[in-house]
Amino acid sequence: MRNRRIEEHPVLGSLRNRKAVSFTFDGKTCEGREGDTIASALLAHGIRQLRVHEESGRPRGIYCNIGHCFECRVTVDGKAGVRACMTEIREGMAVESGKVLPSPLNSSVFEADEMPRTYAEFAGKQKGDNKKEAPDA
Amino acid sequence: MIICRCEEVTLEDIRDTFHTYKCSAREVKLRTRAGMGYCGGRTCRPAVDAVLEEVTGEKPGDDLPLKVQPPVRPVSLSVLGGDGDHA
Repeated sequence: MRNRRIEEHPVLGSLRNRKAVSFTFDGKTCEGREGDTIASALLAHGIRQLRVHEESGRPRGIYCNIGHCFECRVTVDGKAGVRACMTEIREGMAVESGKVLPSPLNSSVFEADEMPRTYAEFAGKQKGDNKKEAPDA
Repeated sequence: MIICRCEEVTLEDIRDTFHTYKCSAREVKLRTRAGMGYCGGRTCRPAVDAVLEEVTGEKPGDDLPLKVQPPVRPVSLSVLGGDGDHA
């Protein structure tokens, strides 16, 4: 993985001696330094896309980077809506990016008469299983 | 040009909606969802207000205000009380 970390800063001086902290992003192990935010640690690895828009799937990453806009929200240890730009990494932290959410009532995906009536039906249609109705759980 | 990032609303969307439906600023907001996304409009609200004023000619604060309920930041219900367990 590429490392784009600033090791010598014109104002802050040498930043080489900070403790390494490892965490996972979508299951992949990443290493940051103590005091990094999730967003800055991933940026140092060249990872700029932190989530996708829930409906359109277009990429999202750092926008304001001051905790205002929630564009960088990720799921941390199962907790959704955590701002990557404001959250410091901890050893063993599991970070998951934001994914596209199902939109079962989107009429541009289905014709009106074949709209799914249950989630099981919707999940079946997503898999291309149009012939048989999935049994209700 | 993107006006509202949370709901992916462009300047063109707002203009088109106003010209198609000939509606009030509030209705344009409800139809396009501009400023109604995850961040609660805290990022784009000034832009949405300015665009709607320019497009519809309505000033914010007229009969049907563009309702603003600013939180400091979006929080989960568990922050307000309880630990998230079903009590």
